[in-house]
Amino acid sequence: MKQKALIPYMFVGPAVILFSIFMAYPIIYSLILSFQSGQGSNLEFTGFDNFQRLMSDAIFITALKNTFILLIVQVPIMIFLALIIASLLNSALLKFKGLFRVSFFLPAVTSLVAYSIIFSIMLMNDGVINQVISAVGLDRIPWLSDPFWAKASLVIAMTWRWVGYNMVIFLAGLQNIPEELYEAASMDGASRIKQFFHITIPSLKPVILFTTILSTIGTLQLFDEPFVLTNGGPSDATLTIGMYLYQTGFRFYDFGYASTIAYVIVILIAVMTFIQFKVTGDQE
Amino acid sequence: MKKNKTMKKIMLYVALVIGTLVSLFPFYWAAIGATNTSGSMFTQPPTLLPGSMLMENIRNLNESIGIGRVMFNSLFTATVYTVLALFICTMAAYAFAKFNFKGRNTIFTIFLLSMMVPYHATIIPLFKMMAALNWLNTYQAIILPNLAYPFAIFLMRQNLLAFPTSLIEAARIDGAGEWKIFFRIVLPSMKPALAATAIFLFLYQWNSFLWPLVALSTTDMYTFPVALSTLFGLSRIDYGQVMAGVTIATIPIIIFFLLLQRQFISGMLGSAVK
Amino acid sequence: MKNWWKATGLAAAGAMMLAGCSGTDGGSGSGGEDGETTLTAWAWNVNVGALEDAMALYQEENPDVKIEVEDIGRLDVYDKLSTGLAAGGVGLPDIVLVEDDRIGGYAQAFPDGFLNLSEKGFEDNADQFPSFKQDLATVNDSFYAMPFDAGPGGMFYRRSIFEEASVNPEDIETWDDFLEAGKKIKEATGVAAMPLDKFNDDPTFRMMLNQLGTYYFDENGNIDLTSPEAVMAMEKQMAFEEADLIKEVDGWNGTVSATIDGSVATIPFGAWYYGTIIDQAKDTSGDWGVFLLPAFEEGGNRASNLGGSSWMIPSGGDNEDAAYDFLEFFSTSPEAQVIAMEDYGLFPSLNAAYEEEVFTSEDEFFGGQKIWELFADEMADVETPYYTEDYALGLDEAIKAQADSFNGTDPAEALKAAAERLAERTDREINN
Repeated sequence: MKQKALIPYMFVGPAVILFSIFMAYPIIYSLILSFQSGQGSNLEFTGFDNFQRLMSDAIFITALKNTFILLIVQVPIMIFLALIIASLLNSALLKFKGLFRVSFFLPAVTSLVAYSIIFSIMLMNDGVINQVISAVGLDRIPWLSDPFWAKASLVIAMTWRWVGYNMVIFLAGLQNIPEELYEAASMDGASRIKQFFHITIPSLKPVILFTTILSTIGTLQLFDEPFVLTNGGPSDATLTIGMYLYQTGFRFYDFGYASTIAYVIVILIAVMTFIQFKVTGDQE
Repeated sequence: MKKNKTMKKIMLYVALVIGTLVSLFPFYWAAIGATNTSGSMFTQPPTLLPGSMLMENIRNLNESIGIGRVMFNSLFTATVYTVLALFICTMAAYAFAKFNFKGRNTIFTIFLLSMMVPYHATIIPLFKMMAALNWLNTYQAIILPNLAYPFAIFLMRQNLLAFPTSLIEAARIDGAGEWKIFFRIVLPSMKPALAATAIFLFLYQWNSFLWPLVALSTTDMYTFPVALSTLFGLSRIDYGQVMAGVTIATIPIIIFFLLLQRQFISGMLGSAVK
Repeated sequence: MKNWWKATGLAAAGAMMLAGCSGTDGGSGSGGEDGETTLTAWAWNVNVGALEDAMALYQEENPDVKIEVEDIGRLDVYDKLSTGLAAGGVGLPDIVLVEDDRIGGYAQAFPDGFLNLSEKGFEDNADQFPSFKQDLATVNDSFYAMPFDAGPGGMFYRRSIFEEASVNPEDIETWDDFLEAGKKIKEATGVAAMPLDKFNDDPTFRMMLNQLGTYYFDENGNIDLTSPEAVMAMEKQMAFEEADLIKEVDGWNGTVSATIDGSVATIPFGAWYYGTIIDQAKDTSGDWGVFLLPAFEEGGNRASNLGGSSWMIPSGGDNEDAAYDFLEFFSTSPEAQVIAMEDYGLFPSLNAAYEEEVFTSEDEFFGGQKIWELFADEMADVETPYYTEDYALGLDEAIKAQADSFNGTDPAEALKAAAERLAERTDREINN
């Protein structure tokens, strides 16, 4: 009997041990750091000063605003697009499913280095995208230099990169919706669009919640896109909290303050996740 | 009615093909860049056709970073990581999904919460630790830290929840040991989920940049993203080389995805179980 | 239960196998057998080759010393260096290349992180370098870096474009002259005077500040963004904008692009841009020339510098002395510096090097112009830019001031606002 009680711990043991060594220690270490301040090795304990400093840090507030704008605009667009593509690709009669699937998923596999160089060259003032735009007779768009368009560029780039990833998750969820539901709806004369809103979306609710939380975490920690595409500019218009965290630590050498920012991100994510669970009324 | 349906179908294909083109264009463009001279990425009108510089760009790239060695490092670390992490995470997920034990929810919650900590904040303590272990610039330094990958544990747990507990109990009554049940009964039916999780794990390790950059310090240990980053000097960038490198680095992961994708789609069932 | 041990054993074996195939030690090189020393170094791009070639020269006298230079992306070097220093000085090489604008930041933030070169007697070599390079390598009156390459400023121009508009570059002495020339060129050819990443970088503004003997901070570390000189520089830049003579480019790639396609008549940059031009715009050989930055008033200072780097020695390594000895040789050997220049395009900051033949040679790509002589003569007159340890913040705010100016704010006001934000972030005084 005693042995039996041990069994689950043996299964979970390796993960717990590795986690305690390689994740728990760094996390606790940075938590302690978040109560210290100073450049480089001149660190000293300052208690909650860092948190207070954050509240009145205009740049942090800007970064916070930018991050939330991106969150509110980008995540819904991406999730919705991914849902649509997933349900199109799920249509039984479609040919070349595999090909489409791979194509849409591919952007998620690009590494940061590849992604950064390709997009920054394409989005340049004289870049391929603007050349196409002016070829069809429209005005060139200042993708990276205008505060509005710089944010839009980030949204486009992020959507490009992650739509396929989310689509794949939705596709999997769709396999679980019984075909009969759709058949019955068709009999009743419900249009495809109606079916999408009344069958697909409600059935996928837990999956949508899951991907939304993942995307929320990703966006609140967002670093890659602003770092490589806009460098936070123009005038901090695309500075995110994740990027400010990096700058504070690695550029300005204030690792204490940087850790504080990290923990504010953790708190924000926890709150957002909690709200999302509440809104969808899901248990667990 | 029939005509309407054909129309709709055509529209569907047109939409999907446009989406595909948008998704693939940057890859195509990078591949084109790999076959042209360095400055050709900036010409007007844009260079959209293959040139004849591919072999030379690859040769130059090989001289700069040593493609074979870098490819080995990346493949080795990503493969070993994927196998080990898959094993460890699946075991943990099985415990979370199929056993009731003290501390289960606490441990699971801590795992999930750790996903919320931005990775930049953990780099320095992790580095300090690796230095103390004398593991800087080793393969284990970049393989070990994220073996217990919370996202993978979560994904596998969701899938395992769907596995009928009655089967496990029946096997127990038949006298099968817990490990036999796990390896012989549970795992074989989890192939799709394992394939899916493997892709995410492989992807994660293959593209991982900042930690390998910091932890590795000799050229012969570099992984692809770190090696490619060395091509960016202050005033000299050979874009032909960069694009060749970018394209080559993408190929293995596409192959990996193609191999597993059939399994993958049904393996993501997880969180949608009835 | 047996299986559990099996599984654990398997995992342990895997881990051990991993430990077995670890690579070479990445930290300080080891003092191997027979008194052999292997130095480790971090540098980026062409600097790697330059350092290796210098070692080859050094080995003629010191056959027991070797070097392993790791090629690391330029910005990546800083991520690694910051991490190693913040972790308490672990995993660092014997030698690291650092750009001049970051020396102060590192030396101040990590006072024990780097070898104090003055204590080793580097002072004796000081007057072999241009004065501004000496200042840049000095923190709190001690040398923490050995001067390496520099970026004397110049206007890289396209001969054909100037000819088409019949503008003679030799007639351009002041920024106002250049403004008029720019208008003429625009009218004749439709080409802009110069490129600028208006919202993300301010190289032209920095060179102008340097010309005028000011920078983001002054000698005492006070914020100098509101000085009349700074306002004048920003306003001058805006004058070009108002005449529609600035081509907006995105980042480094954008500048390179404009260089290749000939959509700008000049590119104001440091001497190191030579390498980019000859690499990326191969078809334009013979069409290039250089003149010094125009002065703000007739007879005013035309010398400036943009970029450049120096070598630092992280402290606590086993090979501090060997690293010092080698770097001292490299920094003060005209022969080694000329190799770096000729083979890698790295412009030296060693006065004696300018006596070498290459500095009087004609450059074919630049239409036979003696460009290196021009740059070398410029070096002695370059004023010191005071970067301070808060340079990164200063740059951040100056770029915002520039962006705001281009978005319509009055330059003086934009600079004042930036200075105030900078004061807030750094606890520094603003000069009036």
